[in-house]
Amino acid sequence: MKQFSRTLLSVGTALAIMGSAAAVQAETLKIALAGPATGPVAQYGDMQKIGVMMAIDQVNQAGGVNGMDLEGVIYDDACDPKQAVAVANKIVNDGIRHVVGHLCSSSTEPAADIYEEEGVLMITAASTSPTITEKGHQLVFRTIGLDSLQGPFAAQYIINSVKPERMAIIHDKQQYGEGLATAVKNEVEKAGITPVMFEGVTPGDKDFSALVAKLKKENVDFVYYGGYHPELGLILRQSREKGLEAQFMGPEGVGNPDISKIAGEASEGLLVTLPQSFDQDPANQALVEAFKAKGEDPSGPFVFPAYSAVQVMVEAIKGGGETDPFKMADYIRENTFETTTGTLDFDEKGDLTEFSFVVYNWHADGTKTPAAQ
Amino acid sequence: MTEASLYLLQQLINGLTIGSTYALIAIGYTMVYGIIGMINFAHGEIYMIGSYISFIVIAGLLGMGMVALPVILLIALIVAVLIASTYGWTIERVAYRPLRGSNRLIPLISAIGMSIFLQNYVVLAQGARDIALPPQISGGWNFGDPQLFEVSLSYMQLIIWAATFVCMTALTLFISRSRIGRACRACAEDRGMTNLLGIDTDRTIAMTFIIGAALAAVAGLLLGLYYGVVNPFVGFIAGLKAFTAAVLGGIGSIPGAMLGGLILGVTEALTSAYFPSEYKDVVSFGLLVLILLFRPSGLLGKPEVEKV
Repeated sequence: MKQFSRTLLSVGTALAIMGSAAAVQAETLKIALAGPATGPVAQYGDMQKIGVMMAIDQVNQAGGVNGMDLEGVIYDDACDPKQAVAVANKIVNDGIRHVVGHLCSSSTEPAADIYEEEGVLMITAASTSPTITEKGHQLVFRTIGLDSLQGPFAAQYIINSVKPERMAIIHDKQQYGEGLATAVKNEVEKAGITPVMFEGVTPGDKDFSALVAKLKKENVDFVYYGGYHPELGLILRQSREKGLEAQFMGPEGVGNPDISKIAGEASEGLLVTLPQSFDQDPANQALVEAFKAKGEDPSGPFVFPAYSAVQVMVEAIKGGGETDPFKMADYIRENTFETTTGTLDFDEKGDLTEFSFVVYNWHADGTKTPAAQ
Repeated sequence: MTEASLYLLQQLINGLTIGSTYALIAIGYTMVYGIIGMINFAHGEIYMIGSYISFIVIAGLLGMGMVALPVILLIALIVAVLIASTYGWTIERVAYRPLRGSNRLIPLISAIGMSIFLQNYVVLAQGARDIALPPQISGGWNFGDPQLFEVSLSYMQLIIWAATFVCMTALTLFISRSRIGRACRACAEDRGMTNLLGIDTDRTIAMTFIIGAALAAVAGLLLGLYYGVVNPFVGFIAGLKAFTAAVLGGIGSIPGAMLGGLILGVTEALTSAYFPSEYKDVVSFGLLVLILLFRPSGLLGKPEVEKV
């Protein structure tokens, strides 16, 4: 059934491609915003959207870039790799040459291949899988830290502060979740902690009672989960019901208030590694106020990286004087950028040379406080 | 009891719970197939809609300050069953009845279209995010040795078992004893002949859709309360599993759907219990392939007789 809907979609996309002429007006520069606007992780897409749209508004209010106004165009990939490919082709055919996105690593990776081939500059503000930048792409950048940084960071916290007796690692078999889970496993094993379980669950599943019973039988006292909040929320809720008393920990993919709605009381005390809260940074208070004035929530982990992705593009156009993606890419590699997420310095692969994470304690009301070290 | 047997008992409890709800949804697939020989792919979406409606009703009544939980659940059940049945009836009327008598493939495509339509309609109306409901019925019995392994049987699991048992018994009695039930069976046997004998087959078929939808709505309410979460995509996976259960038990056979659901649920739980849980679907669908190889009409299905 899903297959069928995708086939319909690609037919639709093909028709759209035939119909649209590449009409980029000289006075506006379109920036494509690709990510999930629908689907189970659409709220992360929202974070990216409000960050990008705010940046575009503010750039335009300040007179635009080199005489051009920016315009954000939203494309929905629903966090689905196949749809991401269709979206990437549509962006190329619509004549857009600058993309902020995609969001889910499994969507970003196939889309990045298309952008590289077609000469489109892509900056993702959310995809953290290391493999995206490992293919030697010229035009692919990111304004967020990698799983290969976040995994070991989480592992160090587990080794030094949690010191679990019997640790389990669960992941959702997706690129993002399994990647993180593997990174954590490798790192804790180096420190002499051998996880008693390393297992995958199926995204979209609702019943984890068998898994919870198994965790209980193994007397697990600590669980690291690599994946997103819908599954972890249910695992927490069912663990609470079945009397499993283990400490849980997850990456930024679980760190949004919806996990508290799903898990309720069971989300209290969950450990989450998140990028440093840029909305708490005193230097960003004016921007935080601007978000609040529009009725938007700037606390999501991808809002500020998305904002700074636009800042990097704008600076590259101003600094190099051209909108050509290849010239911009050279400029981005050679320079550092002052953004709302700090001073960004990109390496040859297009990754940030530095990005800091913080461990938070999650609370049942959807808020968070920094965890004790 | 030893730790291993307590653990097995816990996993059987888990498996029977999930299997009961597969069985409730599977009834809708199997009854429709038994009567008109088509697979109603939109049935999973009816389950999802039933879940949404019960969430909305429960949240609404709680918001209005109502505290008597049994009354709230009863109202939610009645409203969900009524609205879901209306959906079931409407789908049949709009998407399948006009196509009756055409090539078998055409209503199937119409069913897939209906499923996509309903899914996206709910996405637009309710948003794509998970909607959560705080636990309404918590607690349960714990037994076994706390030193070894404590088995827990929650009240919610018991309610699911009881509700499934009541629904299944009522349905069996209804099909075997009532006039409409007899008409359903006659329709399944030979629709043309039934029509000649003066029974309104269109109405009988509509009735089947209504019964299937009502049971799916019961499953929607129960699973909604059990997991506490619903999103527009739950119908797809639940529908796929229930359809598998129906095929496993023998599509067209009502006891087959019940048996198939329970077997599928228990297989999934035991696979997750003794193997890495990522093999859950591999094993349960592998089992389906095996059964279909050796018993193509399913466990309790009647072999198809070629009509001349």
